[in-house]
Amino acid sequence: MTEKRQVFSLRQVVSSIKKTIEERYQQTYWVKAEMHKLNLYPSGHAFPELVQKENGKVIAQLSGTIWKHHLDKINLKFVQVLKEPIKEGSTLLMEVKINFSEIYGISLAILDIDLNYTLGELQRERQETLSKLHSKGLLNKNQQVPFPLLPQRIAVISADSSKGLSDFMQVLNQNNFNYAFFTYLFPAYLQGDLAAPSIMKQLQRIEKVKHHFDVIVIVRGGGGEVGLSCYNNFELCQAIANSSLPVLTGIGHSTNLTVAEMIAYRNAITPTELADYLIQAFHEFSVPVERSIEKLKNLSTLILEQAKQDFKQQVQLLKSNATTNLKGNRTSWHMLSRQLNAKSILLIERQQHHVHYLQKQLINQAKLHQQAQSKHISDLSDYFIQQARKIVAHYTEQIELQSRHIQMLDPKNVLKRGFSITRYQQKTISQKNVPQKDDLIEIETYDLKIRASVQ
Amino acid sequence: MKEEISYTAAYEELQRIVVDLEDGEISVDELSDKVKRASELIKICKKKLTSTEQDVNKILKDLEE
Repeated sequence: MTEKRQVFSLRQVVSSIKKTIEERYQQTYWVKAEMHKLNLYPSGHAFPELVQKENGKVIAQLSGTIWKHHLDKINLKFVQVLKEPIKEGSTLLMEVKINFSEIYGISLAILDIDLNYTLGELQRERQETLSKLHSKGLLNKNQQVPFPLLPQRIAVISADSSKGLSDFMQVLNQNNFNYAFFTYLFPAYLQGDLAAPSIMKQLQRIEKVKHHFDVIVIVRGGGGEVGLSCYNNFELCQAIANSSLPVLTGIGHSTNLTVAEMIAYRNAITPTELADYLIQAFHEFSVPVERSIEKLKNLSTLILEQAKQDFKQQVQLLKSNATTNLKGNRTSWHMLSRQLNAKSILLIERQQHHVHYLQKQLINQAKLHQQAQSKHISDLSDYFIQQARKIVAHYTEQIELQSRHIQMLDPKNVLKRGFSITRYQQKTISQKNVPQKDDLIEIETYDLKIRASVQ
Repeated sequence: MKEEISYTAAYEELQRIVVDLEDGEISVDELSDKVKRASELIKICKKKLTSTEQDVNKILKDLEE
């Protein structure tokens, strides 16, 4: 059972598809897609890979074609307006015609690219980098790195051939002040797609030898103002922000500031201006030093002069003080001695008066006392005389009484009455005085004395 | 003269001496010593401005490590 089969040649199929597609897609369309690779050929034509990604995965892919005359026209517009050629990896809005080639198959012939859309995309990238840096707290990080008093040892990120580098070096090395700078070049691409990774690599190398350097500079210039959107690249900006040395930029352009310039420690519009800034830092160190020489000279002279004057003044003051003191003392001595004199005289006079008074008082008192005493004495003597008389009278009476009594007791009176006294050896006879036989005794009577012997 | 003093320290000390002089904090007795010290510091600062002692070989060696 063989059916009658219709067999087509490949060309017939391809032609048919081509015809169908051309009929179906007669007009041009605006398509948004990421240009993954440009694939520029030496012929000047480009065959870019166009993709659409979702969550990082390619969900649609198609080849594109940009003929040389279209590409030239598009690039011209880009560079003029955006200062950027078409960049790989960026999302573009393209005017395309769907094309089918018998040999290469289906592709999108790119006729034009919307500039405004790309501009927006660049803006968006810049904005995104800024907000990412902001959220990580990196916007001011490099600006807070301490800046050396003298930015003398400079790590230069630039390209050997860069006009910007030679301008920079010339200004530094030909300064009129004999300031010494040390520079060491870390070569890198300065624009286009390769710039960000190559600058980042050099930043890493510098970090390794940071103790040899004071600052990092990124200088560029003279290469036209094309391909600077790399300085909006987030990774590069992050690396600059995290650098432990201050990063200074002088990438020479007149368009909007890139993010790298915004977050660098300092941005100068051109490499020349950047070199001037470094020289200025030297001035700021040098001027106070020079001034201090002048100040030291002037102030020392002033201090010495002042000291001399002070001394002179002190001497004069001492002299005048001494004179014044002496004069003052002399006057006060005079006054004191006068006062002393006067007071002494007064005192002596007073004392004399007092003594006179006391003398008078004493004499009066003495007189009074004497009078009183003499009266008392005469009173007493009268009294004594009276008393004495009384006593004498009394005693006279007593004596008379006694004498009468005594007279009565006189042995003669007894003898008168006939009694006699017998004595032996001058003593009256008693038990103790007994005369023996023939002893001579004496017998006394009133008017006789008889001697007798004992029988 | 202390050779090991850094230019930063020298600069700061110099400024301090000048300020002290301006404020009249330095007596005639100290003046001579202070001026002597200041001139040493000035020498250090001026030398730093006009000379560098960087060794490229050291940098290269450190880069290779």
